[in-house]
Amino acid sequence: MARKILVDEEMDQTNKEEAHYDFDLFVIGAGSGGVRAARFSANFGAKVGICELPFHPISSEVIGGVGGTCVIRGCVPKKILVYGATFGGELEDARNYGWELNEKLDFNWKKLLHKKTDEIIRLNGIYKRLLSNAGVKLFEGEGKIVGPNEVELTQLDGTKLSYSAKHILIATGSRAHRPLIPGQELGITSDEALSLEDLPKRAVVFGGGYIAVEFASIWRGLGADVNLFFRRELPLRGFDDEMRAVVARNLEARGVNLHAQTNLTELVKTDNGIKVITDHGEEFIADVVLFATGRLPNSKRLNLEAVGVELDNTGAVKVDEYSRTNIPSIWAVGDVTNRMNLTPVALMEGTCFAKTVFGGESSKADYSNIPCAVFSIPPLSVVGLSEEQAIEQANSDVLVFTSTFNPMKNTISGRQEKTVMKLVVDQETDKVLGASMCGPDSPEIMQGIAVALKCGATKAQFDCTVGIHPSAAEEFVTMRSVSRRITVSRKSKTNP
Amino acid sequence: MATSFTAPKLSSPTFQTLCRNLPVFVPIPNTLYSVSRHHQRHHHRLQLQQQRQRRLLFVVRAESNNGSEPLRHYDFDLFTIGAGSGGVRASRFAANFGASVAVCELPFSTISSETTGGVGGTCVLRGCVPKKLMVYASKYSHEFDESNGFGWKYDTEPKHDWSTLMANKNAELRRLTGIYKNILGNAGVTLIEGRGKIVDPHTVDVDGKLYTARHILISVGGRPFIPDIPGSEYAIDSDAALDLPSKPEKIAIVGGGYIALEFAGIFNGLQSEVHVFIRQKKVLRGFDEEIRDFVGEQVSLRGIKFHIEESPQAIVKSADGSLSLKTNKGTIKGFSHIMFATGRRPNTKNLGLESVGVKMSSNGSIEVDEYSRTTVPSIWAVGDATDRINLTPVALMEGGALAKTIFQNEPTKPDYRAVPSAVFSQPPIGQVGLTEEQAMKDYGDIDVYTANFRPLKATLSGLPDRVFMKLIVCVKTNKVLGLHMCGDDSAEITQGYAVAIKAGLTKADFDATVGIHPTSAEEFVTMRTPTRKIRQGPESEGKMGHEAKAAAGV
Repeated sequence: MARKILVDEEMDQTNKEEAHYDFDLFVIGAGSGGVRAARFSANFGAKVGICELPFHPISSEVIGGVGGTCVIRGCVPKKILVYGATFGGELEDARNYGWELNEKLDFNWKKLLHKKTDEIIRLNGIYKRLLSNAGVKLFEGEGKIVGPNEVELTQLDGTKLSYSAKHILIATGSRAHRPLIPGQELGITSDEALSLEDLPKRAVVFGGGYIAVEFASIWRGLGADVNLFFRRELPLRGFDDEMRAVVARNLEARGVNLHAQTNLTELVKTDNGIKVITDHGEEFIADVVLFATGRLPNSKRLNLEAVGVELDNTGAVKVDEYSRTNIPSIWAVGDVTNRMNLTPVALMEGTCFAKTVFGGESSKADYSNIPCAVFSIPPLSVVGLSEEQAIEQANSDVLVFTSTFNPMKNTISGRQEKTVMKLVVDQETDKVLGASMCGPDSPEIMQGIAVALKCGATKAQFDCTVGIHPSAAEEFVTMRSVSRRITVSRKSKTNP
Repeated sequence: MATSFTAPKLSSPTFQTLCRNLPVFVPIPNTLYSVSRHHQRHHHRLQLQQQRQRRLLFVVRAESNNGSEPLRHYDFDLFTIGAGSGGVRASRFAANFGASVAVCELPFSTISSETTGGVGGTCVLRGCVPKKLMVYASKYSHEFDESNGFGWKYDTEPKHDWSTLMANKNAELRRLTGIYKNILGNAGVTLIEGRGKIVDPHTVDVDGKLYTARHILISVGGRPFIPDIPGSEYAIDSDAALDLPSKPEKIAIVGGGYIALEFAGIFNGLQSEVHVFIRQKKVLRGFDEEIRDFVGEQVSLRGIKFHIEESPQAIVKSADGSLSLKTNKGTIKGFSHIMFATGRRPNTKNLGLESVGVKMSSNGSIEVDEYSRTTVPSIWAVGDATDRINLTPVALMEGGALAKTIFQNEPTKPDYRAVPSAVFSQPPIGQVGLTEEQAMKDYGDIDVYTANFRPLKATLSGLPDRVFMKLIVCVKTNKVLGLHMCGDDSAEITQGYAVAIKAGLTKADFDATVGIHPTSAEEFVTMRTPTRKIRQGPESEGKMGHEAKAAAGV
């Protein structure tokens, strides 16, 4: 979260002037990974330059902003809207606690949007200051790689600058991608969805990933009619199947209309709104159609072919475990490498890069047990393996502990929504392989659990921890009975 | 959470049935206990086999008394006095292990007394649960303020209807007490309504009826204590405060502990004028000093008025029915209610303990050994009646350990290390492990990491809410000794970290964990620079400095 960087603005200004290069490091892209790598490299004494496109909430080939996706078009504005939308349900819940509220609650979208934009402008400024406090030189404009040690910068007025750097770091992130269907120009991506002038009354969301689910929750929470279309049977492919079903159930219970195994085939403009046609032949009318159908790495306009940096077929920059590309002086971190596209992972990669290149300490990012959250309403949070992954990877039986309960708050509010928690345990080693939770506060609860899992905590260690009563989180340390045991046939170890 | 229950699984239903149907003969005194001590030395893997042997032994003895030892018939293997958290847990588990168990409890009432109680005990009826429900209700006024910053508008200010809340709360409490009764019934525990009193080391009198038991468990809990000052009869305690017929217009809360702080938040949120009177300069004695300062400040910002170093001397009732509180500093008038949150005392009076020789401390708590055994070998005690750590989950731990010790050949000591806890003040506090002061005393050299920030929600709401977090790390071992937090979701956030701290994890382990973004909790895994390094080694010649040293920024 942007606020926390304020506390560690220490810097080490020892400049090691490199005779042959303008910079020790030139970073293209000032998002989470780029800023972290730039600051830490500067703290290690490197002379660092960084370039970023001009600020705007909606990104394009020529627009971006210091702070990147997370701060301007991702985590932060999304969470702000989730907070705003969560009040919708909260206020309903207040009635049975004795609060007398108007039948129809008034919500002013423009006010929320305005305050959100103010906040991201503030954070954009904070990030700029962070860079300058660390002694990093910030350039506004578009960066291109013209040689293994050469960056060309096109400034806003069109003038071009050229700098040499001992190392170049690509941290250009990714952008939302639209499906190629007729009328796709009538739809929007998450960038625009975070900055809509008006709150849609009728929203269609296409996609089954976390972005789709989050926006469905946001708009529904703020009172819109929401139809969510996705290709699979359940949303959130890759997550634990049981938890996917829980999320789907909660979305439906909160009033989102789910359309599983359904594709959008065409959008048509009508006087009444956008007509949405599905592959089942159904038609819907919407004010807004959101494509949350995936994101692609921002690697097209970097001139990477010219220097021979290898990309994979999605356009992601290929890197080794140290984030180095096939060109030894060129590195890449964050979403542009399409490893695990999360802010804290980009931060980790940026830190490891700085340590490896300027800190004299070769550091590989560790991708095991990385927790994450889906800020649906209520949210889902997980760390470690899903039940399916555990069954696939385990060498012994897998024990699954689940707890499904009515959160205490609902006993009076009357909300019919269960919280579900799950621990997946290796029977032989007693290690907790995975934890998941869907329910209020799950992202906050999961963080501490993640520390325990990262260090190989056993179920016995969970069990011997005393609960905090009354909390939801205490369920994780009071799961005594196995819900099911999955016998894993031992893998044949004869074949290499 | 108290509202979720899984039906206990009977590990050996046939045996249990057997036990309940057959009269159980066992030698006195306490042979089984010494048997279990003996078994303690055996390898764990043998345990199942041993249990089978013990059961066999049980049955053999039941059938043939060969006369080598004096045998006595008891009505029950275990008789529990008090069906609160500890008593219910011990009884259920004992029954699951095959014992025949009875538990007695006073009739249900929201207010406890010598003659009223209720299955579920303090936690369910007069503590954790109703308190948390009231916290949920009262938190809304803050949420309404927050929601304004997120674009929500109220044509008329939300008003609170007290009677709706009380009715819904009490319906929930009745539901829960019913669930607890079912849990006992399903576990095969006999529930007896009435007041239990110990007659001799193996006999309990419940309202004139005598029951014999091989083991007696005292789990009678504690009750609020109001100091004897003039006019104290006008004061209410936390029992009454949870079930007032109408909203207090202006309430004085005397006390600086967690109960005082929680009720201050509740009544403040439900739009009462709240004054808190504390003897000391700060609230929450025993908590981390920085947390004490921080929570005091945050709570004050929400409109609660603190009167520090002010002790009550008398309560006077005026002609108009309002109450005045006279303190060492003056008199404050116009209170509709005066609540005392001045501590709790074990419920150990009139239990017959003195006559059977159960030793108690000066405050009335029952003295027990590490296995919760009193000075009378057949009598045991768990929970608040023993005044160890007075928390529901600790009573559960003690009850569970006791059942294992007596009925599963597995002497088990409750482990009081790194017990996490929460204060449901507004904002709440979560903590686990040592305070900075304790850590300094016990370990000397420690690094303290703190974060004090405005959470994302507050930047939008415009409210002055902040979050404070603290990690205390042992320099020698790198272990995290203590974790403290005050701010939204503290209780929920602390639980997972409690697992990590109980497992003895190091600061490096915290650092190796990737954050969940954007959360408050991620702050605990992204603390890179110590706020201060405290050294007590001889090189600093006993000087104990709060040296604020900034390490290199990585």
